[in-house]
Amino acid sequence: MVSVGTVVWLSSELMFFAGLFAMYFSLRAASGEMWAEETAKLNFPFALVNTIVLVASSFTCQMGVFAAERLQPRRGGGAFDFLRWGMIEWFLLTFLMGAFFVAGQATEYAMLVSEHVSLSTNAYGSAFYMTTGFHGLHVIGGLVAFLFIIGRGYAAKRFGHFEATSAIVTSYYWHFVDVVWIGLFLVIYVLK
Amino acid sequence: MKIETWLFGTGIFFFIPVAVVYGFMTNWSEWVGILGMLLVGGLAGMIGSYLGVTAKRVGMRPEDREDAEIHEGAGEQGHFSPWSWWPLVLGLACATGFLGLAVGWWILFIGAGIALVALVGWVFEYSRGDHAH
Repeated sequence: MVSVGTVVWLSSELMFFAGLFAMYFSLRAASGEMWAEETAKLNFPFALVNTIVLVASSFTCQMGVFAAERLQPRRGGGAFDFLRWGMIEWFLLTFLMGAFFVAGQATEYAMLVSEHVSLSTNAYGSAFYMTTGFHGLHVIGGLVAFLFIIGRGYAAKRFGHFEATSAIVTSYYWHFVDVVWIGLFLVIYVLK
Repeated sequence: MKIETWLFGTGIFFFIPVAVVYGFMTNWSEWVGILGMLLVGGLAGMIGSYLGVTAKRVGMRPEDREDAEIHEGAGEQGHFSPWSWWPLVLGLACATGFLGLAVGWWILFIGAGIALVALVGWVFEYSRGDHAH
């Protein structure tokens, strides 16, 4: 029941990002020269590393979901015994990777501002910061959600389907945000 | 759950071709409509494929049969909160936040503080106190 609601809501989120993509492409079609000039300032290798970390975090998130489906909140072995990690350990790792991504985004924004690309500079700046910024806010929302799910994992004396369901729907959200980023990355950094 | 799957999934077969036709008719220059329609196809596909995967997992339900009785669907349906004050608190936090946008940014931070309390209260409502399990 919760998961159906989450998927329907995520499909509406897809339409939200459709609006942002449409804005990006419209502005790009209207001012091609500006795009050629401004996209040259992007740091592709930096963004690629950031993207890889975010995509990898989807896999660690899914490992956490598998642990939650086994109803195993905590690790059954040593701290680095990955195979016996519980949901909490995997989600903490996912949180750290997501936080790395957000920190990377902030660094990239700082680098771009120092090269005079800001939200109010021109159409490219607006399109870039609006699309990546709204995505970044979604990632931050996901990080908060992970903290809550980890908190529920610690609070539960008997980790059951109530906790597992919330972990699973949080993973749906995280995978969705990840896929949207792959789209944004391809459009902004590869297609330019 | 075949009916649900197709109800949503068939959208793909309408919206994606329509987006392509629209693209040709506008010479691929009007991106709001093209992307909008393509991703409406994505919306239909997302819900449709989710329902399809769920259908495979849960198998036949009483709802899928003509001759099913109501009692066959009995049992635990999920976790439902009978009532809660926390949505109201979260709503107040959002209202405070919007007041902040209209009146002055400093009010937004008060709203954020109330939102934090509301979210923690809501998320942990069934994990602590009388409901601790």
